[in-house]
Amino acid sequence: MIQVEALTKRYGPTTAVDGLTFTARPGLVTGFLGPNGAGKSTTMRVVVGLERPTAGTATVDGRRYADLPAPLHAVGVMLDARSVHPGRSAFRHLLALARTHGIGRSRVDEVIGMTGLESVARRRAGTFSLGMGQRLGIAGALLGDPGTLVLDEPVNGLDPDGVLWVRGLVRALAAEGRTVLLSSHLMHELALCADRVVIIGQGRLLADASVPELVAASGGGSLEDAYLQLTAGSVQYRGRAADEATGLTAAGGAR
Amino acid sequence: MTATTTVPNPAPARGLPARRGPSLPRVVAAEWSKLTSLRSPAAIGVVTVAVSGVLTWLSANASSTDPGFDPMGSLGTGLPLAQVGVLVLGVLVGTGEFSTGTFRTTFTAVPRRLPVLVAQLVVTAAAALVVSVLAVAAAVVGLLPAAGSRGMTLDLAGGRTPQLLAGMTVQLVAMALLGLALGALLRRTVPAVVAAVVLVLVLPVALMLASDPGIGGAPPVGVAYTEPEVTAVGTVTAVLPGGAVTHLVPGAGGFDGAPDLGVGGGVAVLAAWVLVPLGVAAVRLRARDLA
Amino acid sequence: MGRATTDLPQRRAASSEPRAPRRTHAPRRTPAPATATAAPRTPVTVRAVTFPRVVAAEWTKRTSVRSALWLPLGTVVSALTLAYALGLFVRVGDARSGASLVVAGHVLAQLGTLVLGVLVGTEEHATGTATTTYAAVPRRLAVLGAQALVTASVALVTAAAALGASALVTHGQRAATGPTLDLGDGGTARVLAGFVVVLTGVALLGLGLGALLRRSAPALGAGVLLLVVADQLLQANPGRVTDTLRALLPGAGSRLLLDDGGVAALDAASLGPHLGPWGGGLVLAAWVVALLAAAAYRLRRHDVT
Repeated sequence: MIQVEALTKRYGPTTAVDGLTFTARPGLVTGFLGPNGAGKSTTMRVVVGLERPTAGTATVDGRRYADLPAPLHAVGVMLDARSVHPGRSAFRHLLALARTHGIGRSRVDEVIGMTGLESVARRRAGTFSLGMGQRLGIAGALLGDPGTLVLDEPVNGLDPDGVLWVRGLVRALAAEGRTVLLSSHLMHELALCADRVVIIGQGRLLADASVPELVAASGGGSLEDAYLQLTAGSVQYRGRAADEATGLTAAGGAR
Repeated sequence: MTATTTVPNPAPARGLPARRGPSLPRVVAAEWSKLTSLRSPAAIGVVTVAVSGVLTWLSANASSTDPGFDPMGSLGTGLPLAQVGVLVLGVLVGTGEFSTGTFRTTFTAVPRRLPVLVAQLVVTAAAALVVSVLAVAAAVVGLLPAAGSRGMTLDLAGGRTPQLLAGMTVQLVAMALLGLALGALLRRTVPAVVAAVVLVLVLPVALMLASDPGIGGAPPVGVAYTEPEVTAVGTVTAVLPGGAVTHLVPGAGGFDGAPDLGVGGGVAVLAAWVLVPLGVAAVRLRARDLA
Repeated sequence: MGRATTDLPQRRAASSEPRAPRRTHAPRRTPAPATATAAPRTPVTVRAVTFPRVVAAEWTKRTSVRSALWLPLGTVVSALTLAYALGLFVRVGDARSGASLVVAGHVLAQLGTLVLGVLVGTEEHATGTATTTYAAVPRRLAVLGAQALVTASVALVTAAAALGASALVTHGQRAATGPTLDLGDGGTARVLAGFVVVLTGVALLGLGLGALLRRSAPALGAGVLLLVVADQLLQANPGRVTDTLRALLPGAGSRLLLDDGGVAALDAASLGPHLGPWGGGLVLAAWVVALLAAAAYRLRRHDVT
């Protein structure tokens, strides 16, 4: 279980997370949503102890992450696919990670098998495609057979087959009574795999509800409709509409 | 690469004995696994050993025709280059986490953070010791052809030779640890290598320029001038890492104008060069966010 | 749970009946932000890639990273600090010339410009920018040429600033102890100009190594080896072969920084070729040309990534 309470994180004058409170419960997949720059990744980094809160707390199973006696067995973390040395093979990366907790080689082979990386496990991670890197990140998260999983954009860059697999995986993990906190920008995907959704904007909580509740509140549209309505006021980076952008080539004249 | 997989068992998975957390021996095992799974440390080690042997061989061969040829005089020829090898080895261990983003994985697995730094110190010392012993052995082997051509045999157990060999080995290990300390402090490879090169190679040369009578000019005729025993330049040179290591071999250490630190003093100065940057790195690692 | 554990065909079948009821909705526009319609359009004129434009792009890249400021600054500060520190040890009546004191900082400063060149040469490949760059400029040699131009200009300005700063901070010491700085003297002008030339040459050496090796640690290591370590190593073992090798290292360029007496003393002590000051400069230039040519060959003939 992940409990975030009145969490605030500032970098100098910038407030990335502003008094955020939510709970990710066991047995549920909690979707974590928000526009770019809303503070999702910051929150996740605080939860796993890479950053310290300016105020408030973030705990896993009632403890601060740094106080967990065996972090890999408590929380599986996948934050960024580039958290691997490009010169190291996938197998050796996972083996080094496993050794910090005395986890055996057989379990490393097991997670490599689970994530479908057998054929590339001896290749240097620098040669991996985005999707293979994501699979390696997920393999690292599963290594300690943890009761809680924190996954930042796990389907980013995966092929359709991989997206389907992640969906099944997180559903199964939750069904076993584990806590899953998962961020994604793919609304249709989240509608399929999340039980609850926490939406934040500019570091503040905008919604914390089940998917049907949100859909009903938005007037019976889709999760995407609900999301766009909720975040309309807190989007920081927004591109111009498509017809605006095409004006560029028209004015250029050539081609 | 299809996703024909099963999900983890609800019961603790196979291969998981007890759910214990990171201990220092485990983190050391992990860091050793990391060090040995990259190509560059192995390549640097092989090149360092080879260069040490070949340079000593070339130098001993070149001087073997001298009337007063002493093979042991060429023993240290490859040392300046070998120390650059282990220095870079240490820097790469120190910066490897942060120059690549591996730190996110490492420090979520070991959230107390400091054991990782200690483990890096241990594995760097171990790897550097292996490389250093082999490099010194290669240097000794490099002397054999030249000694043989003059019908000489090497007496490795006699006189100050054991101390000389041990001193050379410790010097190389110390350089690797200095590299690690600078790498851990600066976190990026280029600044760390530059800092190490300046400290070990460039500053001693620059300081020599200041005290070199050939460049500084001889005292003018008619002016009574005696070179003091210990000069400011000599003292600064002696407490730089490159100067301090020369004290590790008793009797061989020191140079004009430098105070004689002795073996203990040399070790203390080197220890300070390693521990002070590591200490600052440790405080920063503990206290600051890792983003 | 059952879905996830089954094999592939079954999962495909299962996925056609998703958990959540499939919602269909009419095509709709996302709520357009207010700024979208009001924003004025900038007409984009199509122009070809030309060398000056590539240079402009490389200049923007170099000046937009953090090292753009601290690297030249560090170079200047290290040069003037070293010159000042060495000036403290000059005694009245020393044979040292004023010019040799002013350029004494080059031992440290050359590392600064070496790193500059290495960074320009490797950054593209180390960060993945190369993909973007060479997609925009498919005629790759133009990029290398522009990088050389940018590196040389930054190094030139940095070196000139370091020279001026060193001359300023050692002014008092020179006035007190005697060594003069007479620009009318041919040797003096050569030494001062040589400082700028050598530092620029070393920057291009770094660029050549960086562009050839494409990774910063090996490129920097090779540069340090060529400029510093090899020279110290060979110096420790004087002989005809080692002295010849020493004269042919890029470090020979530093002969430009010795006053005439220094060059004569160096040549007298060497069993290798007597290059004189400008010969040393030519050796450095030859290294730069050879390395840049090798880098250009790799860039032309081999894949970028």
